[in-house]
Amino acid sequence: MATKDSQSVVARLTDVDGVDREVVDGVLFALPYLLVFGVFLLYPLVKGFYMSLFDWNAFDPSASEFVLFDNYVRMFGDGSFWRAVRATVYFVVLTVPTLVVLGLMLALGANRQIRGKRILRTVFFSPYVLTVSVVSLIWAEIYSPSYGPLNYYVGYFVESPPAWLNNFDLAMPAVALATIWWTVGFNFVILLAARQGVPERLYEAARIDGAGTWRAFKDITLPQMRSAIMFVTTVQLIASFQVFGQVFIMTNGGPGDSTQTLVMYLYRMAFREQQFGYAAAIGYFLFFVLVTVSLVNYYFVGGDNE
Amino acid sequence: MSTTTLGMDTNRLKTAGVYASLYGAAALFLVPYVYLVSTSLKPEEFAFSAKPYWIPPDATLRWYVAVIEGAPMVDWLVNTFVIAATTTVIVVVLDSMIAFSLTKLDWPGKRIVFTVIIASFMVPVFANMVPLFTIVSDFGLINNPLAVILPFSAMPIGVFLFTQFFSDLPDSVIEAAKLDGFSTFGIYARIVLPLMKPAIAALSLYTFVYTWNQFLWPLIVLQGESSFTLPVGIVTMQPTQVFQPGAEMAGTFLAALPLFIVFLILQEHLVNAVQMQGTTG
Repeated sequence: MATKDSQSVVARLTDVDGVDREVVDGVLFALPYLLVFGVFLLYPLVKGFYMSLFDWNAFDPSASEFVLFDNYVRMFGDGSFWRAVRATVYFVVLTVPTLVVLGLMLALGANRQIRGKRILRTVFFSPYVLTVSVVSLIWAEIYSPSYGPLNYYVGYFVESPPAWLNNFDLAMPAVALATIWWTVGFNFVILLAARQGVPERLYEAARIDGAGTWRAFKDITLPQMRSAIMFVTTVQLIASFQVFGQVFIMTNGGPGDSTQTLVMYLYRMAFREQQFGYAAAIGYFLFFVLVTVSLVNYYFVGGDNE
Repeated sequence: MSTTTLGMDTNRLKTAGVYASLYGAAALFLVPYVYLVSTSLKPEEFAFSAKPYWIPPDATLRWYVAVIEGAPMVDWLVNTFVIAATTTVIVVVLDSMIAFSLTKLDWPGKRIVFTVIIASFMVPVFANMVPLFTIVSDFGLINNPLAVILPFSAMPIGVFLFTQFFSDLPDSVIEAAKLDGFSTFGIYARIVLPLMKPAIAALSLYTFVYTWNQFLWPLIVLQGESSFTLPVGIVTMQPTQVFQPGAEMAGTFLAALPLFIVFLILQEHLVNAVQMQGTTG
């Protein structure tokens, strides 16, 4: 029976009435996911664009007024929107490079012949399983100007320690630091796996050629780990562009609107001000930005391997 | 192997440096945990003191009592578990079915379907939240766990991961099963699924943790206090008349505990699940 003749297999699978069983089964197996995917992912994507063309009435959608691109025009002239864009980009700049570089440094360190590797991995990776509210509540207390432990020690060096989360210049860096603590473990774990996947013989060959540590890092480690580094960079870019929970809980966008990020502004417009059409337009802008980021990353930096 | 004495010394120095920075970083990483636990046990006078008592001179469990009595922690725990567990089951079943269909069955249009699913990777979850809210609300699902479960079951990452793994399964295995008279469902349930246990375990764990930790979407669609999840509940709770750091940290500790225990037990698997994304992604 172990024939490789696929004709006979197809024959067995073809029903009497001529319907190909494999096609029917194939569609049946795909259908449940496609249903959920269609209703809760594709349809909202289309509906979001449709909504963005209306002055959407959240309480009575049928009373919505068609305004074409007015929401987008308004967005580009909206000072709060641009401040949100700036705050988001600032957060991205504060977090992404540090997360990638620190993750890489920890991974390369932990890849050496050292004792307690497992403990180190547990410690660095553990915050990743915490929810954003746990992280934000702990750090908000650490930063507290009245009883927070941070300012007790800062007080040794500075006359009057700052109220971190209420300070225009320091609020965002403070939120960024909490974020780095929270997610650097993700990068660490992925980069460690990538480093362990680099064949040791490459390093042995380089050593025989007299290459030093820096040369080996530049000529072997970096190129070999390139796709993993690109992967964590892209993931962090996308995550940081969508930052919400940390600022919502720790600063509520303040002081002023210095930490009001795009997703937070979108949330506020939609669910505080009930401006669904405008919020949908902001959502589309965010969508456009993130698709661009992913594509740029893919084509210009990470596209030529594998 | 012919290292000079000087070389050995710098080597030893380097090793010492690596140890110092790694363990130094690890110690710093633990500070927030220490603060969390110690503050949750501190009597009021130490909690509000400017001097940080890392080990409080006096400990109390009153904040834990206050939180459990003053906030529906158990409801939130149950809600969070139901949402995370149901999403995980749905994701594993639906994603494995379509991945099996896409990799091992032949039907017209499947390439297009696959391309659309993969392209939808780029749709940021939160960019969609306004239209998604109106849809969930039209279905009458506000305050219903399904409002979280269904949208998170639509995420394409599992389909992507499973198709990667399923396509590594030799077609000859499937062909042989067909010849042995297995139905399509039999091949899926009795051959593919058992062989794919590691991938299923990894995706399950990843989905469970990911869904459990969601904050923004549950905040939007779960509006009544009794339908909150833990991440939403601990932010809004007011278990004491005036704000108490101890009560807040006790609630935070209780909210973090379940997944933390899961993490300590299943650490290897969770690390694998995360690393799998990096290597297949």
